Amino acid sequence: MTSTDEVRSLLREFPVVDGHNDLPWALREQVRYDLAARDIAVPQNEHLHTDIPRLREGGVGAQYWSVYVRSDLPGAVPATLEQIDCVRQLIARHPADLRAALTAADMEAARAEGRIASLMGAEGGHSIDNSLGTLRGLYELGVRYMTLTHNDNNDWADSATDEPKVGGLSAFGREVVREMNRLGMLVDLSHVAATTMRAALDTTSAPVIFSHSSSRAVCDHPRNIPDDVLERLPANGGMAMVTFVPKFVLQAAVDWTLAADENMRAHGFHHLASTPEAMKIHRAFEERNPRPIATVSTVADHLDHMREVAGIDHLGIGGDYDGTAFTPDGLSDVSGYPNLLAELLERGWSKADLAKLTWQNAVRVLGAAEDVARGLQATRAPSNATIESLDGAV
Amino acid sequence: MADLRHDIPATTGAGAGEGLPGDPFAQDEPGALLVRAHALLAEHPVADGYSGLPWALRYLPWYDLELGEAAVDTDVPRMREGHVGVVFWSLHLPEGPGGDRATAATLEQLDQVRTVIEAHPEGLRLVGTAGQVIDARNCGRVAVVPGPAYAAALDDSLGILRVLRTLGLRVLTLTGTAWAGERGLSRFGEEVVREMNRIGVLADVSGACAATVERTLALSKTPVLCTRSAARELRPHPANLTDELLTALGAAKGVCMVPLTAEQTGPAIRDVADHLDHVRDVAGPQCVGLSGTYDSGAVHPRDLADASCYPHLIAELLRRGWTEPELSLLTWGNVQRVLRSADFMVRAAQRRA
Repeated sequence: MTSTDEVRSLLREFPVVDGHNDLPWALREQVRYDLAARDIAVPQNEHLHTDIPRLREGGVGAQYWSVYVRSDLPGAVPATLEQIDCVRQLIARHPADLRAALTAADMEAARAEGRIASLMGAEGGHSIDNSLGTLRGLYELGVRYMTLTHNDNNDWADSATDEPKVGGLSAFGREVVREMNRLGMLVDLSHVAATTMRAALDTTSAPVIFSHSSSRAVCDHPRNIPDDVLERLPANGGMAMVTFVPKFVLQAAVDWTLAADENMRAHGFHHLASTPEAMKIHRAFEERNPRPIATVSTVADHLDHMREVAGIDHLGIGGDYDGTAFTPDGLSDVSGYPNLLAELLERGWSKADLAKLTWQNAVRVLGAAEDVARGLQATRAPSNATIESLDGAV
Repeated sequence: MADLRHDIPATTGAGAGEGLPGDPFAQDEPGALLVRAHALLAEHPVADGYSGLPWALRYLPWYDLELGEAAVDTDVPRMREGHVGVVFWSLHLPEGPGGDRATAATLEQLDQVRTVIEAHPEGLRLVGTAGQVIDARNCGRVAVVPGPAYAAALDDSLGILRVLRTLGLRVLTLTGTAWAGERGLSRFGEEVVREMNRIGVLADVSGACAATVERTLALSKTPVLCTRSAARELRPHPANLTDELLTALGAAKGVCMVPLTAEQTGPAIRDVADHLDHVRDVAGPQCVGLSGTYDSGAVHPRDLADASCYPHLIAELLRRGWTEPELSLLTWGNVQRVLRSADFMVRAAQRRA
């Protein structure tokens, strides 16, 4: 049996749970949720990393759809609700392929039916507008993880890619974590500062996840996870879902991105500017400095290291498809997961290891969060704390 | 049925003592009317179209609605005494539609509704459909329907409308937005009404301008509610309906739910009864309902101070010659019809999809 065949047969039994996919945001930006204009029942290779045929080809069995909204604009709550509606509409449009999942048991049921379990994750605490009532509303609507921050700090948690402010989590931030524990919503520590990761691990009574982060020891980028945090995952029971984004996983790509941003600023543009003049400057830079290409092996290097530090029971996959402009060679869209698994097989990972990586760890972690929630709900009422009462005036 | 024995001698005003005491055939004797009112309400409980309780409880440090809560106008014992069978819990905010925070504030209100109901499982039950209202009644619970919310909560998005429906929202007040404002419904506003019909959110046009009321009545496939409107003919409050609109509402088989407030209906029970008479006569007995408006900050008529007082009002209507079928529609039947009609439209829309 070739490694491809082995991977295929493995994925039939233990399909991929992916921790983060930005298809809803892509649909919002490209076609304002006109789902007929980007019908994911048919290939959308021109426009998207994600569609049902390629999810099937990639052996995906469960997907946390991100209901991300921008953190630098007002109106995060209404926008998040629209994102949630988008996921619900997608599930309703494709009942043969997608199944709404709220629990670990739902994930297993979807697998048994051959459908893709569809879960939701909110990407950033700005989506709750400093309100635990809103947090509970998101849970009620099916959101099963919340990343504590996105690229910017919020009032109660520091981001990895912003200046330190509260030094991890504020008192209200810790209350958010406790309320998430009580609800059974996973605490996602991708995007947050290392101080926030440690504060959340100190506070949580349920397993945490990193929905799309890789290893900082392999590639020094703030979006990745330091070893001292990875080392705490076995005790916590949570998991780190490796991401593929080249500018986070490949050191040459990190450096190249820094230089490109610097070049933009030197020409008087914001580093994320996308006006025609700015793009011209950027293209000229790219001609002089070819963009470094990440590969399947780059991602496998991260997994090898993370496995050594955190252990095989604490790993998963979070591709960040449709949330990143560039992807590694061999992992160019959601059909690529088998290439990564074949690489790992060749590196000596056993089938049992791969089953944990793709399916078993993620299902276990969600189920464990449910168990913790059941325990907490017996003794603790919904929290009515406000940010003013815990942190003083904002 | 234990309630029947409760407050028979409660309000014996002038006229008590006329006729033989305790004579069951002395129909005009107030005590006897109250007995009939209780009996009638036991059969056909009150569907209360508007309560501000979720907000009123928000800043109470501690409360127990099952035991009784003096700080508010509504608790389970008093609702049982008043024969309240189903109540719409308003998600409106005291400060108005709420601007930028309208959506977030409505989510918080929905969370508050759920939290309060979960804390009182013996008294209250969250319901979504007419059938669940009946189930709750059969289980001896007061059914709670979340709504109305302000249209601003939608932040101009049909997706948000659907999400709020998923969280339980059943009624939306069509005022205070660009698409349902002073000039009536815009084309987007009409699309909102169609989507509301499709997913089972009732339109509330209390406080909406005449153009919005007329267009909504013409467009909506399910009956339209006015959760807090009395007769403009009797009292010139902006949320009260002119006879013209009452006639139109009657033709569309909507329901005008008359609020028990001094401001909109008047300071005494007989003022409220005058409005109910008028709405019944103009719109028809199938188009009149009750709206307690308790805990919403309103001042209530004498003898209608809290949710236990409905029998007094029904006794007054009995005195005025309302028939039992008319009263059964007023208290219960009309709202049940509207909810059932909306549920039916949802199923019909699903069939078409």
